[in-house]
Amino acid sequence: MSDHHPTRPGGSEPHAFLAHHFNTPGQQAGAAKLGMWAFLATEVLMFSGLFLAYFIIRMQYPEMVLGAHEYLNKTAGGINTVVLITSSVTMALAVRSAQVGDTPAIKRYLLMTIGFAFVFMVVKYFEYSAKIEHGMLPGKFYSAHEHGYDIPGLPHIFFAIYFCMTGLHGIHVLVGIGVLTWVYLRANKGHFGPSYYTPVENVGLYWHLVDLIWIFLFPLLYLVK
Amino acid sequence: MSDKLFLHGKPIEGFEEVHEHISPVSSYMKVFGALLVLTALTYAVSYMNLGAASLAVAMFVAVIKATLVCMYFMHLKYDERYHVFVFLSTILFVGIFFTFTLFDLSSRDEINEEQDSFFQRQYAPEAGVSVPVYEVSEHGEGAEHAEGGEAKAEGH
Repeated sequence: MSDHHPTRPGGSEPHAFLAHHFNTPGQQAGAAKLGMWAFLATEVLMFSGLFLAYFIIRMQYPEMVLGAHEYLNKTAGGINTVVLITSSVTMALAVRSAQVGDTPAIKRYLLMTIGFAFVFMVVKYFEYSAKIEHGMLPGKFYSAHEHGYDIPGLPHIFFAIYFCMTGLHGIHVLVGIGVLTWVYLRANKGHFGPSYYTPVENVGLYWHLVDLIWIFLFPLLYLVK
Repeated sequence: MSDKLFLHGKPIEGFEEVHEHISPVSSYMKVFGALLVLTALTYAVSYMNLGAASLAVAMFVAVIKATLVCMYFMHLKYDERYHVFVFLSTILFVGIFFTFTLFDLSSRDEINEEQDSFFQRQYAPEAGVSVPVYEVSEHGEGAEHAEGGEAKAEGH
């Protein structure tokens, strides 16, 4: 914040959050958004490595993958898909509320999004506990045979990629809960309005990407025959 | 702040405000409905026995869902074209990454075979070495030397 544009109380004033090195709010919003898209590009590239690993494992051990994926809980995965899609809608509506300057609605939709994110993590917690209990773990930790599950082939490889992909995605959901809370606290201070809602929008873009990745993870890990 | 702002040599009007397309709530609800229907479709397809086509169908549905999310939730449809370019070029590079790696993996057996026969023709008869035979065991523990001890000593 520069001296020229001091933060005013009730920051919905036009230029309360305009940094001094930008000419206009539009220019600032555009720069922030481009930066966000560049970050999302790196996120996609990071996940692409894991997706490629999945396809390679699938190519090398097709029968093992088909056998092992039956042990994933399709219902839990399906519920989580619906939860994430719904949270994406509430996030989009939060951004829209910021665009039209309805602060109570921003807060309401952000709380709903955070709530759905927690539901996702709770479902994930139950899924992971079941996997850990049955010894369906990556690599050397795999011990499902001791628990009476005889999965043919090399299922510890499948569970390695399962835990890597859903684990990295889960970390993204946790980070999402963190940044959504930050945006909620700022919305609570009345920082956002039609002329400034960059944080809401960029956190929204991040959250939609987390949803996008799950859209591909779910059929690949849980459903594909 | 100057009175006039220029972009690509043209003055821009109304630069004081942020101009964004505001989608109506109904459009978000329509996309939400479409995403739920497509999720149900993915779920249903997994119970049909489509064999090899099931991966293609599942990925096709996932791509449609991803496109809907990108266009309407992430506003790419109304956004600056440059953001679309950033995103699509990412996908392009992911495509290159996938294609080349999978191409390499699927053609590696052939190359290994060629290398082995080349080695045999060139060196094996005269040198009188036994060529190492690489066997990928069923458990995929990688290359195992079946009778490679001698060749190893000679060659490397």
